Amino acid sequence: MLKITNLHAKVGEKAILKGLSLTVKAGEVHAIMGPNGSGKSTLSYILAGRPGYTVTDGTAEYEGKDLLAMEPEIRAREGVFLAFQYPVEIPGVSNKYFLKAAYNSVRKHRGEPEMDAGAFLKFIKEKAKSVEMDPAFLNRSVNEGFSGGEKKRNEVLQLAVLEPKLALLDETDSGLDIDALKVVAEGVNRMRDPKRAFVVVTHYQRLLDYIVPDHVHVLSGGRIIKSGGKELALELEKRGYGWIEDKVAA
Amino acid sequence: MIAEALAAQKEGWRYTPAATLTGPDFKPAGVPESILPLAGRVLCPVGFHRAALVNGRWEAKHAVLKLPDGVTVEPLARASGLEELLGRLVPDDLPLAKIASAARDGFVVRVARHARVDRPIHLVHISQATAAAQSSQARVVVVLEPGASAELVEETLSFGDAPSWKNVRSQVELGEGSFLRHHRIVREGTQGRLTVGLEVTLASRARYESHALNFGGLFAREDLRVRLEGEGAECALNGLALLGGSEFADHHSIVEHAAVNGVTRQLYKAVIDDKARYVFDGLISVKPGAQKTDAQVYNKNLLLSEEARVNTNPEFKILADDVSCKHGGAVGQLSLEALFYLRSRGIGADEARRLLVYAFGSEMVDRVALEPLKLALADALHGRMPEGNL
Repeated sequence: MLKITNLHAKVGEKAILKGLSLTVKAGEVHAIMGPNGSGKSTLSYILAGRPGYTVTDGTAEYEGKDLLAMEPEIRAREGVFLAFQYPVEIPGVSNKYFLKAAYNSVRKHRGEPEMDAGAFLKFIKEKAKSVEMDPAFLNRSVNEGFSGGEKKRNEVLQLAVLEPKLALLDETDSGLDIDALKVVAEGVNRMRDPKRAFVVVTHYQRLLDYIVPDHVHVLSGGRIIKSGGKELALELEKRGYGWIEDKVAA
Repeated sequence: MIAEALAAQKEGWRYTPAATLTGPDFKPAGVPESILPLAGRVLCPVGFHRAALVNGRWEAKHAVLKLPDGVTVEPLARASGLEELLGRLVPDDLPLAKIASAARDGFVVRVARHARVDRPIHLVHISQATAAAQSSQARVVVVLEPGASAELVEETLSFGDAPSWKNVRSQVELGEGSFLRHHRIVREGTQGRLTVGLEVTLASRARYESHALNFGGLFAREDLRVRLEGEGAECALNGLALLGGSEFADHHSIVEHAAVNGVTRQLYKAVIDDKARYVFDGLISVKPGAQKTDAQVYNKNLLLSEEARVNTNPEFKILADDVSCKHGGAVGQLSLEALFYLRSRGIGADEARRLLVYAFGSEMVDRVALEPLKLALADALHGRMPEGNL
């Protein structure tokens, strides 16, 4: 589904990714772990198409197409979804309207008819219930005044509504207490599907207790320096990142 | 005469392109050959009481007035008993209002003690200039006696391709405990110029809710003067300007707190695209003895192009010591973070921009309490959204 080969990227003049390669197949859950500043968020943003990054070398193919050549909205309509580490507040745009606009633009792209307001409201209320979100949040402005946990829950709600093929979760666990973390993880687990892949970017192993990955990768210095199964995450939790980085340096 | 009057106004006209007014050779507008129908031209929904001025003259054909007892809407030319109000001097810094004082026609709205107008009153100011540049003068007088209440929608429009200029002097007198909602919708088109000098006085516990809504036009300037004369008077001043092309809008206001316990809440917003320009100058002046004044003045602007310009100046002059006063001005562009967030959910770049601009402006439309008017304004807001070439 996703094939990243030798990806190099910089922000301004600063090189962040330095030859990253990663292959993700449908149905898989990959965790990308790494210390702060290793390039985790940069990777998520580049895959989603955020402006401000320059890819200097390498490729990212999504379902055989050049992902990096697509506008951000096309990536989304094609089934790529980024759950933001810091979801953006948008005063004046109701959450409900935002979700409907997003949902219908994806449907339109797929050649499906747009859903009318009444049907959508019913649909969205069910989805909100599934992530234990108070329906009152649907009428509020997007993320405005939401707590950290509510914002993350809203990201998972969008995930549930848009039903992407490839979901990138960027530090979805940051700022969550254990109860909120469980709700978010359950929301994600419910979405696991043989046709859908997840890339879970996280600093801590804690999230992976609830979203159990098939593969774990260590990102450091802009490259993946070690890959393994879920046990690698436990080892990282115990021993930190230093031992791998030392080994690679040696 | 106009050029001289404006030339003498250095201070408040620094950012206002007076040449737009003095350039064309305006002649007093006459009665047009045919009166164009209002249907499809006015934004305000039907079903309101209605009166109209065409080129500064009361047009009986447009009047739809079945008013309840205690409420009158009449042409200035026929109104009586207003000598004191009509004869009141115009402040020296409102030279155009001084000129409009000589107007022979206009609207007079009176609501008797404790009377309530059943439906909003729609007052339409129309310029109809087809060949040569035409100007017209008009006066508006609104008097609410103690305890009365009314909802007023003034709409200004220009028909025809020739340059037109409407110059209006308005006076609003709000008696003790009265309440007026006053909407002013400007849709002047590419040749329309509008200048308004609006003076409002509030007696004790009177409330004035104002919505200055500019949906475009070559040139529109409103000088709003609000005087909170009696104690406990309150005013809410809302403003929105949506400007593109080479349009210009100017909102000057002075709110004078002359008594204790007065409240002012002022928020004006502007969306400025292309080469348009906007000026906001909002002064709140707290007089000696106007203790417990609670006043706020804010202006927020969204610039959508490199060449769009705004001059903003919210300020206070405070001569009392026990007051709460806040002010602020902001000029910004669309948030790139918000744009990316919307796009990352599949919403196209152009739609995302429109959504954000709409969200910025809709705050002011949402403040309009008259439901049918609010819907019409929301449509108009949609119609003024930028196209994809941002």
